[in-house]
Formats: sequence, structure tokens, C-alpha cells
Amino acid sequence: MHLLNRYKWPALIGIAPALVIYLLFAIVPIILSFYYSVMDWDGFTKMKFVGLANFKEALDDPVFWGALKNNLLVVAASVFGQVPLALFFALLINRKLKFGKVFRTLGFMPVVISTVIISLVWGMMYNSRRGLFNQLLEGIGLGDWAQNWLGDPKWAMFSVCVTIIWQFIGLYLIIFLAALQNIPEEIYEAAKIDGASGLKRTLYITLPMMRNTIMVAVILCISGSLRTFDLIYVMTTGGPGHTTEVLAMYMFDQTFSSTRYGYGSTLSLFIFFFSLALVYLSTLILRKRGD
Amino acid sequence: MAHVMAEKQKNIELRKESNKGRRFSKKALIYLLLVIYGLVNAYPMFWMFLNSFKSNIDFAKNPFGLPVQWLFDNYKTAWETAKLGTYFFNSVIVSVAAVAVTIFAGAIASYFLARFAFKWGKMVYAFFVFGMLIPIHATLVPMFLLMKSLGLLNTHLGLILPYIAFNLPITIFILVSFMKSFPRDIEESAIMDGCGVFRIFFSIILPMTRPALATVIILNFINNWNEFSFALVLINDDSLKTLPLGLANFAGQFTTNYGAQMAGLTMAVIPVIIIYLLLEDYLVKGMTAGAVKG
Repeated sequence: MHLLNRYKWPALIGIAPALVIYLLFAIVPIILSFYYSVMDWDGFTKMKFVGLANFKEALDDPVFWGALKNNLLVVAASVFGQVPLALFFALLINRKLKFGKVFRTLGFMPVVISTVIISLVWGMMYNSRRGLFNQLLEGIGLGDWAQNWLGDPKWAMFSVCVTIIWQFIGLYLIIFLAALQNIPEEIYEAAKIDGASGLKRTLYITLPMMRNTIMVAVILCISGSLRTFDLIYVMTTGGPGHTTEVLAMYMFDQTFSSTRYGYGSTLSLFIFFFSLALVYLSTLILRKRGD
Repeated sequence: MAHVMAEKQKNIELRKESNKGRRFSKKALIYLLLVIYGLVNAYPMFWMFLNSFKSNIDFAKNPFGLPVQWLFDNYKTAWETAKLGTYFFNSVIVSVAAVAVTIFAGAIASYFLARFAFKWGKMVYAFFVFGMLIPIHATLVPMFLLMKSLGLLNTHLGLILPYIAFNLPITIFILVSFMKSFPRDIEESAIMDGCGVFRIFFSIILPMTRPALATVIILNFINNWNEFSFALVLINDDSLKTLPLGLANFAGQFTTNYGAQMAGLTMAVIPVIIIYLLLEDYLVKGMTAGAVKG
């Protein structure tokens, strides 16, 4: 094409601002963390090269493994909680109901609200004395079931997961609704004439046609739920006794409470590669099953 | 004969009737489920709003009902003693500045990536889109160290720059796919007339991109307005805190004053809910763009 070479310089000028900012403040930090990850540094005294000692320390720390386990738990809760519920409600809303749009609006609302606000409100709802849940249980005569939802190690992770599931069902709901609207009406008409019932139409037409979208939603759900940090930080700061600790929380603690920037960078790298690997793996598995 | 026919007719009618009944009850069940779903989604925010007007005693005695006395003082307390005004101002500055730069730099880069076929164009595009996969938390520590060495800790700029960097990938992704859909001959005639590439961008391409621009502007704004982790790491000075950071802080100080806490949260959430209700379709498009396109 004749346009290419003539406009090399303008193109360079046009792309440069975005590229420079992106490189400096998204890519460079990751490269930097490779450098810092082999150092021991408190930010004031001289940096000391320690080789792979930081990596070994992380792998030897049971709290690290506990955090990793919790990360996977959040991923599992999200995938098995958010995606099926979202699909179920999307199928209901898609039935051309009179107020379908209202439910869509309500369903997506939590996704738009800041995680900090959601965490604070849910934190108050979980409050052991004045929280919504315990008052509700008391109100219906089940006061014995009241719990210290976020303070009890047995319940803390469960409570956190419920909030996480609640927060993001709406995202997948919207994705599924968009996909449902793309299924041509004629297919249903044909199936109706052949005498397929509503449930059969859903099982044998809608769901198979949605398979790609469902897979995309699952992958999105995995990568999204790996990013859980704000919610845990605000609701529990990883407690009680590390029971709700996730990798990012552990990293934050180690870096800024004990000012160990080298070790924190090592943990950053773990998070980076762990996330990429999990997303890549899930893409592989889901693709294979699709073939 | 006539008798049999009449019987049959009656049977058919009866069946229709029961079908109708079944359909009605099925519809009722669907509505019931959806109403429960809607309530579960809306109730926490409603609960917060209602309780933001209650005194502590009222809240303890009567957690579900309307306030006995509507206390607007909670809002005054939250706005003044909790410095919500300052946090609000900081959030506006940081969000607006970051959105402006992201959109401008992102749009012009998208224009060249979408409308010109360079050898390295595809690679640069893939490099940008890769950014959507980077987990933000993996960059918190090195970002802190980078900003520290640049002397940008505790500045608005130090927050604006990472916000731009991490919103560029999705911005470029949405804008490029939109700009690619324009027919090729649009600029060709303009070039024939001796129009420069930048003038084509400003006077032809940019106006045509308006719907996608609206989507990315709103998406960016909400992302920045809600962002917490970078602010937590990069801002320490109370007078520079953004709303989410300030709120997290303020909740820690006001653990005993539930009303004021909820008043603060309500004030922080109202702008977002208004934007959402007015511009829902754009926002939905933006947030699902990555998913629907795969």
C-alpha cells in the first residue's frame, strides 16, 4: 500500500505518547521487579544481592502457601458461583419480560460500584453485633445461628467469598445477555415447530450456541478473581490469623509493614507468573474441550 | 356425532385453560426469582442509604425500618470531619486528568494502528493489548519503588501516570476495533486533496469515533474513580488521598459512628450511580468489550 512509507514519521509521533507512558509505567515496573527480586533492601540502607534467597524464603513460608490456596479458593468460588448463577438469571431475563431491563440494570449495578464501598458496606452487614445478617437471623428466631462472620476463622473465608460472588455476577450476566441476543430467532421457531419444549430448547439449542461465550466468561472470571485484593484489604486485611490472606495481601504486608522491598518484588513476580500461567492453562484446557 | 364434537371442543378448551394456568404460574415463578435477584443486588446499597440517616441508637434498635428521625447531621459530619470534600476533589482531579490523557494519546495511537498498515503495527497493537493481562498487583511494589526514585510519591501526577498506563490497553483495544470498521476510502480522497494525516484524524476520524469514545471515556472514568490499590501504595499524605482511599481510612476512624460512615459512603457512591443510570448502555458496552470480542 502506498500509504505506508510516506507516513512513517507521523505514525511514530502519533503512537509515541501512548507507547512511552505504557512502557514506563506498566512494563518497566515488571522488569524492575526482576532486578529487585534478587536483592535485600529496606529502602534506606544499601541494597544487597542475595541471589535466589527470596524465592526460597517464599516457598518455605507456610503463609505463602496458605495465601496461594486462598487465591485458588476465590477463583473456584467465582467460577462455580458467578458463572452458573449469571447464566441462570440471564436465561430468565432473556424471556422478553416486561421489566427485563430493570433486572439487568440492578444486576449490573454492583460491578460499577467501588470495591472499597462494597467491602465497607458488606463489612457492616457482617458485623457480629449490629450487622444485617445477625439481626435478620435474630428477627426470624434463628438467633443461635448468628456468627462473627468476619472474625471467626471458620467463617471468614466463606463470608469474603459470598461478597466476591455477589459483586461480579452482574458482569457475566451482561456478557451472557449480549450473547443470547445474538442467537437468531428462527432457530427457536424451527425447534418449536418440531415440538421441542422450553427446557429442551434451552438445553439443546441455547447452551450449545453459548459455549464459546461461556468459555470466555470462565477465563475472564479466573483472571478477574485472581486480582482480589482491595476487598480483602478493606474487609479483613487477611485475618483472622491469615485465614483470608491472598497473595497480593501477603505481598503488601511483607513489603510495606516490614519494609522488605526485595522480598516484595519476588512476591510480585510470583503473582505475575501465577496469573499468566493460570489464565494460559485455562485457555488451553477449555480450548481442548471445545474441539 | 354433534355430541362427540362438542365434547372434544370442551376438552380442548379445558386443556387450553390449564395450559394458561401453567404458563401463568411459570411466569409468576420467573418474576419471583428475578425480584429476589434484584432485591439481593439492590438491598445492600439501600440499607446503607437508609441507615445513613439514623443515629447509633436508632440503628441498633431498628435496623430495617425507616429512620425514626431523619438525621442529616451525619452528612455534615462525614463531609467536614472526615475531609470527604478533600478526597472528592482529589478524585476528580486525578480521574479527569488521567481520562483526558488516556483518551487523547489512546485515540491518536489507535488511529495509526487501525488505519495504517505498518510492518510493526500489529506487534505494537499486540503489545498494548497484552497489558489487559497484567495483574495490577504484580506491579504495586516496583511501581512504588519507581515513583520513589522519580520523586513522584505523594503527588497527583504519581497516581495519574499509572492510571493512564493501565487504562491504555482497553482503550486502544476498543478504539482500534471501532476505527477498523470504517471504509478505507474515507481518507483516500482526503489525502488526494492534500489533507495531512493529523488533520484527517481531527476532522474526519475523531468525529466518527464519537460513540466508541463515549464508551471508553465512561469506562476510564469509573475505573479511575474506583481505583484503590495504587492510591494505597503511592499516596500517604492525607490531603492528597482519593475517595476510595479516604473512605477506607475514615471507616477505620469512625468505627463507632455508623450513621456518619454510611453517609460518607452514600455521598461517594451517588455520582457513580447517577452516571451509571444515565449512561448504562455505554458503560455496559465498555466493560464487556474485552469479553464479547474474545
